[in-house]
Amino acid sequence: MPSKWASIILAVGLGVTSLARADRSAKPTVESIGDEVMCLCGCVATLNHCPHRDCATVAEVRAIIEKEIAAGKDETTILQDLAIRYGVQVLASPPGKGFNLTAWILPGVGLLAGLSFVVIIVRRWRKPSPAVADASPKPVDPKLLAAVEEEMKASGLGVRD
Amino acid sequence: MNQLGSLSLAAALAFAAYAVVAGALGGKLRSLRVTRSAERATLAFFVMITLAVVALEYLILTDKFHNAYVSEHSNRDLFTFYKVAALWAGQEGSLLFWTWLLSLYSALAILLNRKKNRQLMPYVVAVLMGTGTFFSSLVLFVANPFQELSLISAAGTQPFAPPDGNGLNPLLQYHPMVIHPPMLYLGYVGMVVPFAFAMAALITRQLGDNWIRTTRRWTMVPWMLLGLGILLGGNWAYAVLGWGGYWAWDPVENASLLPWLSGTAFLHSVMIQEKRGMLKVWNVVLVITTFFLSIFGTFLTRSGIVSSVHAFAQSRIGPFFAVFLCVIVFFSVTLLFLRLDHLKSENKLDSLVSRESGFLFNNWILLALVFAVLWGTLFPLISKAVQGVTVTVGAPFFNKTAVPMGLLLLFLTGAGPLLAWRKTSFQSLKRNFVVPLIIAGAAGVILLIAGVRHFYAWMTLFLSAFVAACVLGEFWKGARTRMKTARENFAQALYNLTMRNTRRYGGYVVHLGVVVLFIGFAGLAFNTQSKGLMREGDLLRVKDYLLRCDGLVSGETPNYEYTRALITVTKDGHAFTSMHPEKRFYKASQQPTSYVAIHPTLAEDLYVVLAGLDQDTGKAVIEVFVNPLVMWVWIGGVVVFLGTLLALVPSRVEREMAEIRRTQQDIAVQASDAI
Repeated sequence: MPSKWASIILAVGLGVTSLARADRSAKPTVESIGDEVMCLCGCVATLNHCPHRDCATVAEVRAIIEKEIAAGKDETTILQDLAIRYGVQVLASPPGKGFNLTAWILPGVGLLAGLSFVVIIVRRWRKPSPAVADASPKPVDPKLLAAVEEEMKASGLGVRD
Repeated sequence: MNQLGSLSLAAALAFAAYAVVAGALGGKLRSLRVTRSAERATLAFFVMITLAVVALEYLILTDKFHNAYVSEHSNRDLFTFYKVAALWAGQEGSLLFWTWLLSLYSALAILLNRKKNRQLMPYVVAVLMGTGTFFSSLVLFVANPFQELSLISAAGTQPFAPPDGNGLNPLLQYHPMVIHPPMLYLGYVGMVVPFAFAMAALITRQLGDNWIRTTRRWTMVPWMLLGLGILLGGNWAYAVLGWGGYWAWDPVENASLLPWLSGTAFLHSVMIQEKRGMLKVWNVVLVITTFFLSIFGTFLTRSGIVSSVHAFAQSRIGPFFAVFLCVIVFFSVTLLFLRLDHLKSENKLDSLVSRESGFLFNNWILLALVFAVLWGTLFPLISKAVQGVTVTVGAPFFNKTAVPMGLLLLFLTGAGPLLAWRKTSFQSLKRNFVVPLIIAGAAGVILLIAGVRHFYAWMTLFLSAFVAACVLGEFWKGARTRMKTARENFAQALYNLTMRNTRRYGGYVVHLGVVVLFIGFAGLAFNTQSKGLMREGDLLRVKDYLLRCDGLVSGETPNYEYTRALITVTKDGHAFTSMHPEKRFYKASQQPTSYVAIHPTLAEDLYVVLAGLDQDTGKAVIEVFVNPLVMWVWIGGVVVFLGTLLALVPSRVEREMAEIRRTQQDIAVQASDAI
């Protein structure tokens, strides 16, 4: 029964999310790339958000992006070209190569390490000692449990506090 | 007045140092007399720092420009409202303000614990005033706001007072900016109290539930204020910086988010210790982490080690903060290791599907998020040290790493509260999850039919529907049960249900607020912008809006000169609104800034910026943004704030328990006084 429910939920979830993901490979625009590129005028903002309205850097880089989009290049190639021309500082996020790759990998490693830690803790905590196992209580009558839950909820002190 | 300020600071430093020694001695010797002396010294520290704050405010409000700080951060024509705020506009003043808030929290901690936690209090005072000693010595010796200007000439050094000051940074001259820093600082500084209680509990080996119960509220208040500060900061960025957004993953923004995230983890995991006597080491680690990150945030904001649009004050205080951070880590981690034997878990985990494991997963995601944000914030520095190049880590990096984690967290916001303590049966899971999943599924399909194809936006809205159904379902089920058993109408049942257990239902309101916030965030995927050159009669179309320029007007106030664009907006052919964005030029600081015009609605904001005047044509450069759902971000923030307030109200049952505990403690205090 549980596996049937899990399969249905998984199937629906995967189906719907794949539908929603269908729009991700859109054609690059100056605006979309402008969010991925830093303005190098010293403003510490992306190309789209540079506060200097007559910024020469913004005008120059936007012109290059427009030209490359017109030439049919994709977003990755345009970003690579800009990094070659201006240095990696022009990219709003680290390139996925060499030491900079660690910037991308470590958050994932941290996430997985944390998950492993939680799993280890849970497994250790779940191991019952023989004494505890022997003294395990008899199963409670589900009707009685439901009645207690109902009563506690009515008092605002539900069992899931 | 400058001498009075410096003298007050010197006296405050002496009181703080004395309180550290007396507190530690009072605890060691178990002497109530010495401990009370340490507490009185802490109160004197508060009085002295208050005196210094009053002295600096007096100098600012009366335009005493012979004071270097006043001359740098105020001017004669600045509104009084902003003059008050000039206290925290610069390095020296903001550090003094930080110290004053610390003294205020310390005084409150003492006054509210005169009859409670007597074994902990000597060390609580010592830790609070250890921090006070650091900050007051910093304000006195390194960043003193009471320095006088002087003119050095052949005739010698003469006192000097310029006719007017440089004025407040124009970006700070915005109403919410007056309350944003105090809220943020109240959040940062307040985390010192739970840290002090944790350290005192470790020192005295009093590691039962008492310190946890005491610190829960002391954590919730700064957590709430820090959240409010972050929200106000976002509102400021949105209305003043003029780039159309409220969050840019700027290092200083990240620094404020980090202690809020770890504080959130603590507020959840603390419940496991209270209910099941588990996660004792983890809770101490979270308190230490949160305090460390609070000081780290102040360090990041004030030291200038990272490039940020927010780093308004930068100076040589960085190394002092670095040393203080090392001291915190060394002291607290050593103490934690020495007391590991006293922090053993009292219970085992009964099931993987339980409230306890739900909290563990919640903590896992929150801490992974802290790590990802911290790593991204510091990576430019690490990259510079390793490869000699400062690599930029901006919004795209954080959006790719933090957003998926945020969505996992959103899922747990709804799923966690539906799990029972100890063990959740499959039947119970089915009973609790089927309806929310059906509602979320229906919402997901409707969104797809409505054309929402952006993956993250769709997922956010889908999960928001799920969480809202979960949380509202809890209110509904609880109220319905009360209606049956207590024969109350729905409103009465809902009210009594909530007031019987404010902590639980306040928490649910906070979770609803988080849902509303995420709905607001989802709007980011649909932002539209356009830019055009306009003079009188010119038109600019953005989505359904048609903007017509009715002309430009110029003028001046005593504080600034302005150029204002008069714009009439029609929507779908009907008159909609008039908007007047401005470009201002502040006279004292000689700096320009934009004053954005925003027309907010629940569906979307129309956001118009007068970016400047085109040099060739003389036309106004108008930028227009249509930002959907932004209003929900502010509403969500307010709901989180109100939910936290509700959770802070003692519930009826809690009040009865507290009364019993108070009676027991009174008896204990009377006994110790008699000894």
